Order: sequence, then C-alpha cells, then structure tokens
Amino acid sequence: MIDISSLAGPLVNGILWGGLFALIGMGLSLVFGVMNLINVAHGDLVILATYFAFFLSTGLFMRYNLPFDMDPILSLVIIIPVMFGLGYAIQKFLMSRAFKVSAEAPLIIAFGISLIIQNVALRFWTPMSRSLTPPYVLDAFVIGPLRIRVVYVIAFVAALIIVFLLREFLRRTYLGRAISATAQNKSAAHLMGVNTGRVYAFAFAISMAVAAVAGVCLGLIFSFTPEKGIQFLIIAFGVVIIGGLGSMVGTLLGGIIMGLVMTFGGLIDTNWQMLLVYLVVIVVLAARPQGILGR
Amino acid sequence: MKLTIPGLGRWSVPLVVAIVVLAVLPQVGMPRAWITYLFQFFMILTVANIWSLHAGRSGMITLCLAGFIGLGGYTMTIGSYFGIPIPLGIVLGGVIAAVFAFLVFFPVYRLKGVYFAIATLVLPQILQYVFLIWDPVGIPLIGGGAGYTVIGGTLFSRIDVYWMALAVAALSMIVILVVSKSKLGLGLAAIRDNDNAAASSGVDVFRLKLYSFVIGAFVVGLAGGVLYLRSQYIQPITAFSIGWQMTAILAAVIGGLRIQGGPIVGAIILTFLHFWLAGYPGYSMLIQGIILVVIMLTVPQGIAGGIGRLRGTRVHRTALQLATGIADRIRGKDNV
Repeated sequence: MIDISSLAGPLVNGILWGGLFALIGMGLSLVFGVMNLINVAHGDLVILATYFAFFLSTGLFMRYNLPFDMDPILSLVIIIPVMFGLGYAIQKFLMSRAFKVSAEAPLIIAFGISLIIQNVALRFWTPMSRSLTPPYVLDAFVIGPLRIRVVYVIAFVAALIIVFLLREFLRRTYLGRAISATAQNKSAAHLMGVNTGRVYAFAFAISMAVAAVAGVCLGLIFSFTPEKGIQFLIIAFGVVIIGGLGSMVGTLLGGIIMGLVMTFGGLIDTNWQMLLVYLVVIVVLAARPQGILGR
Repeated sequence: MKLTIPGLGRWSVPLVVAIVVLAVLPQVGMPRAWITYLFQFFMILTVANIWSLHAGRSGMITLCLAGFIGLGGYTMTIGSYFGIPIPLGIVLGGVIAAVFAFLVFFPVYRLKGVYFAIATLVLPQILQYVFLIWDPVGIPLIGGGAGYTVIGGTLFSRIDVYWMALAVAALSMIVILVVSKSKLGLGLAAIRDNDNAAASSGVDVFRLKLYSFVIGAFVVGLAGGVLYLRSQYIQPITAFSIGWQMTAILAAVIGGLRIQGGPIVGAIILTFLHFWLAGYPGYSMLIQGIILVVIMLTVPQGIAGGIGRLRGTRVHRTALQLATGIADRIRGKDNV
C-alpha cells in the first residue's frame, strides 16, 4: 500500500515538471493559434536548442584555452537569438510558401524539417543519450521529507516568467496585438493594415525563442537523444489541447496536468509513465478536441 | 480484343506484365543484390501507395502507418510462438491491423485537419508502449523491450520473402487502381475536394473514409508481416518508430501525391537514394528530408506530376525554343 507521504514527492515534482511542459506547449500553441498549423517539428526544434546548449556548455570554451565552461542557462544569451532567427527564416522562406501550395503542404514541410533536424543532430551529436550537467544539476532543497531539485524550480520559474512576458507582450505591444488580431481573423487584420506575413514570421520566431528556453530546461531535467523530439511534441500537444488555444494560464495548467500524469505514472514504471501520457492525450482529443479549458 | 481486368482499365496489361516479370526474375539468375533492392522497392511502394490513398485521395493526413506495420509484424511473430503458420500469421497481421484501424476510426474520425493528423501520430506511440509492457508469450528473457525472434522464420528463403513482398506490393497497386476507378474512389475524390459539398450530394463521408482507412491498414499490416519475416526479429522501439511513415510521405510526395503512378516514381527514386546514399550513413535521411522540402515547395505535384505538367508551360516552351534554336543553328551552319 502506498502511504500518503510518499505521494508528496510526485505531486510536487509533477507540478514543477508542468512548468517545462507548459514552456514546450507555449511555443506550439503560439504557432497553432496564429496560423492554425501544428508544427510537427516543434519537438525536434526544442531538442535542437537543447543540443545547442550542450554544444556551448561542454568543453567548447576549454578547447580555446579559456578556463571555464559556459553555463547552460547563460548560453541562452546566444541560443535565444539563434533560434529566433531560425524560426523567422523557417517561416519566411519555407512555411509562407507552403501555405500557398496546398492545405497539407505546411504539415509535410514541417515533417521534412523534423527529419532534417533529427539527422543533423544525429550527425553532429551521435544517437547517444546526453544530458546537461552544470555543477548544480543535482542540488536540491530539502523540505522535511521532500527533496526538490533546483533545476525543476528553475524550469518552473522560467515558465512563470515566460507566461507573464508573453501575456504582457501580446496585450501591450503593437506586434503582440497584431499577432492576436491575425490569430482571430487574418483577413480582417490584413484589411486593418497589419502586415500578416511579417506577423506570421515573428510569431514563428517568438515560438522558437520560447522553444530555446524550453530546450535548455528540458536538458537540465531529462536526458535527451535526437529522436526524443516526437515524444515531447506529443506531450506539448497534450498540454495545448488540455489548456485550450490562446490561454496562457490554461497552457500552464495543461502542463501541470501532464506533469502530474507523468510523475504518478512513473510510480508504476517508466513504460506506463509514457503510455498514460499518450492515453491522456488521445482521450482528451477524442472527448473534447477544443480543450478542457478551451473556448 | 481488349485485354483488361475489370476495374483496372488500361493499367491491367502493364501491371500483369510487370508482376510476371518481377516474379520470374529471381529464377533466371537475377543478381542477389537485386533481390534486396527490389524487396526494399516493394515495401516502399506499398506504404507510398497506401499513404497516397489516405492523404492524396481521401483527404486524410494519416500518420499512423508505423502502427499498422508494427501490428502486422507483431501478429506474425507472436503467432509463430503459438504454432500459427507464418503465411497465415501475415494475413492475420493484416486483419488485426484492419480491426485496429476500424476500432480507432470512430473516435478519430470526429477530428478535423491537424487534430486528426496528430491523433493518428499518437497511435503508434501508444502501441509501442503497449508492446513494451505486454508480453503474451511469457518466455523469460524475451518479449517486452527485448523483442522477439520469429520462430521458424529461417524456413523461408530470401526469394520466398521476395515473392511475398511482390504480392503485397501488387495488392497495393490493385487497391489503388480499383479504388480510383470505382465509385469509392469517386466519392473519396469528392470528399477530398470539398467534404461538405460531397456530404450534401449524398456521399456517405464517414463510410467511405472508413473503407479507405481500413483497407489501407490491412495492406500495410501485410507489409509489416513480410518486413519482419525478412528481418526475423521485432522489437517495439523500431517496429513502431516513425521511419516507415516518413518513407511513405517521402515517396508519395516526391513522386506525386495525387498523380496516377506517382508513388511508383517516388518509390523508385527513394529506393535508389536508399542504396546509393547507404555509403554515407547519417547523410541519407538528411538529404531525403531536404529533397522532400524542396520538392514540396517547387513542384508540389511531385516529379511524376511535374513532368506531366511540363507540357505547354514556360519551361517546356523554353526547352522547345532552345532545341529548335540549336537545330536552326546546326541547319544554318550546314547551309554555310
């Protein structure tokens, strides 16, 4: 019989993991909400950001006789602009054209991008399972019987900050409002003088900047391989459909629900953990595709 | 006298000839390597045909072919532990895949567009974990993540497996041709173009999509059985991996998703790339991914469609002018 105190660990960890899943989901949700495209490469792009952090933080600087390694979190200074630029380029040069071709073309292009990224990562970083290992990765706060890992808290705080920033950005800036307007009605926004092409490109770029933060947090919490992208894509999709489109708080809640499913599933074993996550996604999808908290 | 098989039309003669030639080839001293190449071609052709049936003709972006492949492979393999003859096991694999498709279609059908695609993407992942957990054979040290070897699989020679693959590929061709000529295909085309208009014209959208989905699952399930009879070993991670789904998309899109014969062209190109690029591990799939993106953006109707449409276009006219120009110049020189 499981006693109650042993459930406190999975409960706290599940909520904290929820931050990471919300971060991954937010990027997916932004692109989905604005251009009605499920970016099936989103998981792979997140993993790509993780590998960038891995690249920057494992001996790159020592190779050039500098006496330190870059901290993965500090490396975001480089990774966020890189991913932002990559996202902008993907939308501007690939997706914008794909939208004109046919309805399924963007999805197929996203599949192609996923294939390309996976194989670039395989080529450069081998299929080996890796993780980001800054010195503080195993540190933990001890509260009574609970051990709460610092990196979980970092990911959760990062998610809260991004939720806040994104919400304020979408409400207060011109670009943010233009993005919201385009998401609601593209042609009306276009008639009001919004450059919808640029809005799309910026939405994709911002989604990738969020993915950069998500990628680094992911690397601090889980081990990763180039093929893990699809797993995180499905989790992120689950987050989005539970939380509903366009609601940042909903996304955070969706993330926490997925996190709890994962930690409590992990009490059975690791296979059940992922099986339960996928089953939750498919059941929610079949029962309420507009999301539990959605409009 | 017209030599046609009902439902196949003008394709019947070339199809029958191709099947007979391909069936006889191993008996008349075809190099061993070609058996491998053609086996790969048959498998790619099958998944590409079925994916073009789903995505190109029925307007359903399905991403769960890997699930049917894995189910077919697992049914055949697990059946071999319970004394089910392997050919029967392969057919049973197709049936199980079709039953699975039938059962999941009801919840999945309600979803539109991207939701449908993602729901089908999740299915193979679920099956993967089901087979990681579920071990129906119950012999220690095998099953689950460790996978199974096929019992008695070695009794089948490479040529036997080649013939089975040929049969499955031929079946997939026949399915595609019969469907496109039949009322089912006509209804599916109407649904793909505008499902509301089709529904209001009396097309039973649900039923036709269900038929297309289940038939496709059956054929891909058979392919899965043949595939794992050849490899003799199955494990959940690879059986349900997205690889074959990617291959199907690549071949169908590169060849031409909505073009008669597009999947054949795509499968030939992909088989060629597969073996040609095998010497550059790590780059093979990368290059195929780049080709997919480039083809989709530049010739969305695929290579086969692109060549078909070239007639009368600017490229065609330019090529024609160039050719006649060169011819004139040659003639001019001759005159001098």
